[in-house]
Amino acid sequence: MKRGTPEVEDNTILIRRTLRSGQKVYYDGHVVILGDVNPGAEVVATGNVIVMGTVRGVVHAGAGGNEKAMVLAFRLEPIQLRIANHITRSPDGPLQKPTGPEVARIKNGVVTIEAYSP
Amino acid sequence: MGEVIVVTSGKGGVGKTTTTANLGAGLALMGRRVALVDADIGLRNLDVVLGLENRIVYDITDVTGGHCRLRQALIKDKRFEGLFLLPAAQTKDKTAVSPEQMKALCAELKEEFDFVIIDCPAGIEQGFKNAIAGAEKAIVVTTPEVAAVRDADRVIGLLEAAELRDPKLIINRIRPRMVRAGDMMSIEDIVDILAVDLLGVIPEDEMVVISTNRGEPIVQDEHSRSGQAYRNIARRILGEQVPLMNLDEGGFLARLWRRMIRG
Repeated sequence: MKRGTPEVEDNTILIRRTLRSGQKVYYDGHVVILGDVNPGAEVVATGNVIVMGTVRGVVHAGAGGNEKAMVLAFRLEPIQLRIANHITRSPDGPLQKPTGPEVARIKNGVVTIEAYSP
Repeated sequence: MGEVIVVTSGKGGVGKTTTTANLGAGLALMGRRVALVDADIGLRNLDVVLGLENRIVYDITDVTGGHCRLRQALIKDKRFEGLFLLPAAQTKDKTAVSPEQMKALCAELKEEFDFVIIDCPAGIEQGFKNAIAGAEKAIVVTTPEVAAVRDADRVIGLLEAAELRDPKLIINRIRPRMVRAGDMMSIEDIVDILAVDLLGVIPEDEMVVISTNRGEPIVQDEHSRSGQAYRNIARRILGEQVPLMNLDEGGFLARLWRRMIRG
């Protein structure tokens, strides 16, 4: 699958644990996490970020300016989500919880979150 | 050969000291020999909660500094057979003890006791590092508040990094009515985020305030629900399967009845 693949080298790191508050992962490439990203944890990747779990912390895909990077998670409930130089935050007040996997990417210059369909 | 357990939380004021005192007393009630170690040097509280403040002669820094023998510093509890306290120093700070000294101390204590329970200070700095240095197991205490759960998560990460795997969770001061109304995090919400085994849940109880102020652990109160919750946790630590108690407060009459038998 080449669609949405950023132009960085296709290095990928696999993290087989939940990232807890205070823990940070930075990787020059893609990051795949088998676990959750808890509030207070941070994931920064120059490529895509894929979380096989719930994102409640901060994720940054395409760090360094890759606008084609995306964030994909089973449950996407981040405090803050960044792609390339775009920063978005969770809405103030009560939010509706996602019920399925979602993907965040830049569309027409805006970070857009949609249900994920392979 | 005993077990060394550290009681920690990250955030202050969630009930580490109360939990340490009650688990120690609970295990002693069940016939185990227990040593409680107050690792909160400079802000010692465990002696007060146990009502043993007036018996302190030597403290933990006297032991690690070689000014007295361990046995001289251990205070025998006045009510519970088999319960001992190693008090913290009040006039020093966290640098008065090193992680290596704590390791040696715990190794010596577990030769003689079935359980060594360490009351960890709040925070994640030197005091925390000292407190966990000699521990083999960890109990993380949290309250159903977002900030406390956040800090508990941070601490679990640090415990795992220090090779203290699979810490057990105690949720303190839960108010079932507020949870039902959606105004408080539920047990499920907390366990979902922290993803560790639940050791027990303590309901909010005014009697705990009274008992800690009096220096009488609530665990010996047959009629209090929080005392029951602590006894249940002590039994679980001993390997018994005890179901979580029904946290429903019941109606007006049930509450009145409990208040009456409590006297």
